[in-house]
Amino acid sequence: MVAVRKVFIVTHHQKTVMASGYIVNRGVLTFGIHYRHVCRNVLLTQTREKKRWMKAYTLLMERKLKIEGPPPPKPRAQKPNWDYHAEVLAFSRRLKESFSPELLKTAFVNPCYIQSEQERRQALGVDSETAALVLGDNIQLHTQGLEFTKSFVSAWCRARFPSLPSMGVVAIVAHLTSHPVVCHVARNLAIEDLTMCAKFPVPDEVLHSTFLAVIGALQESSGAERAGLFLRDFLVTQLVGKDLFEMWPVVNPMGLLVEDLSKRNMALPEPRLTRSAGAGTVLPLYFVGLYSDKKLLAEAPGETVLAAEEEAARVALRKLYGYTENRRPCDFSAAEQARAPGLQSLSSS
Amino acid sequence: MTSRGTPSRFLQSVLQNGVGRYVCQLKRISLIFSKNGQSSLGAREFIEEGVVDFAQKNPGTVVYVSPQSCRIPKIVAEYLNGNVKEEAITSKTSQQIAELITKLTNQSGLDIIRIRKPIHTDSPSIQGQWHPFTNRPLSIGPIGPQKQQTN
Repeated sequence: MVAVRKVFIVTHHQKTVMASGYIVNRGVLTFGIHYRHVCRNVLLTQTREKKRWMKAYTLLMERKLKIEGPPPPKPRAQKPNWDYHAEVLAFSRRLKESFSPELLKTAFVNPCYIQSEQERRQALGVDSETAALVLGDNIQLHTQGLEFTKSFVSAWCRARFPSLPSMGVVAIVAHLTSHPVVCHVARNLAIEDLTMCAKFPVPDEVLHSTFLAVIGALQESSGAERAGLFLRDFLVTQLVGKDLFEMWPVVNPMGLLVEDLSKRNMALPEPRLTRSAGAGTVLPLYFVGLYSDKKLLAEAPGETVLAAEEEAARVALRKLYGYTENRRPCDFSAAEQARAPGLQSLSSS
Repeated sequence: MTSRGTPSRFLQSVLQNGVGRYVCQLKRISLIFSKNGQSSLGAREFIEEGVVDFAQKNPGTVVYVSPQSCRIPKIVAEYLNGNVKEEAITSKTSQQIAELITKLTNQSGLDIIRIRKPIHTDSPSIQGQWHPFTNRPLSIGPIGPQKQQTN
């Protein structure tokens, strides 16, 4: 009954409302309908009261979200407040490096992006002469950066851990230049925002090559020394808290230990059971010590005697290579002084 | 609420920041305010006097100023690790907004939740972690209390 009356009152008042602007009609007090003239012949109504359709609409949208899942992520460049040039300049200032802006912008451009842009222009029917795509690739910078990174990191490792064999150095370099580590570093340096790529989210290989291209650009703009410091500060610090054999999978540590000891002309390691507890129980514990010429090399625990012996071989290797947990921490603070030995080894290698 | 009911994290830094060089973790800050609203008065004053100095002092942070018709003026801070923090600056004075922005600049982008320990170390033990066999003579066989040496 009330609803019918409402409609009736609205139609009755429409004529009077059109003649004079905003009229306080009885509907305001009872039904909360407000009228506003946009112009003489257009009338906007709004209800400021509680909207009865709101709950159904919200529930429907939530159900839709549950079925379809969240919307796909958008690159930062397509969200509001983005100025590419300012972002590139801020990138170089934030890292306290002086990049040349053109080289840096070239480093961010990937071949997949150039390809997709050209396809888009062809699809839109834009003439290639009128709107030429003048963008350079980052492939050359990428190869340059990769080569420099590998040589710098292996030189740094050799200088810092002189007794580490070349297999170990190769393994550490491979770990530091691997996709997971490099992409982690790149994502936390905001390189992903600035990368120009066909797909979003940026695939790991593209991000990896973009990071190395940035290193190449830094090397060309500021020289090998600054690029080396950059790598030391951002890539080599990822070694902090990592164990040697996490990065270097060694299958036969005992064989490696035997090789190393024979190279140093020390006696071969003899394993001896030093301590044991709970031998007949579900959780036995055996400590095996490795002795070379009756002097203790390393001692380690394990659930079985063989496991303890393998672990002891690993501990002995860590001690020999100087990669123990209680070693002196690497000095990342000194800018030029610490660089000097690395520079020498770099020039020699 | 409680420590188990609310999220917590360990003390950490983004990308070992500070071990090598220090990088300011704030990459982008956007000031969204209204040109005519009462609540954006402080924001407008700050933009008149303080924002250019801030941008010059922090060259690694991009400052965006966007006047929109909005009821609540906001500061949106984006950090290098991807976290985005929004703060409302409704009816704040220019001084308060400046302090807030300094606070945001000094934060790393990590979540502001309970930190389980105020310390972190990668080399927890120098002489070797104590275990029940430390400083005991080598023995295979059942463990018992050590015989006290007379004199």
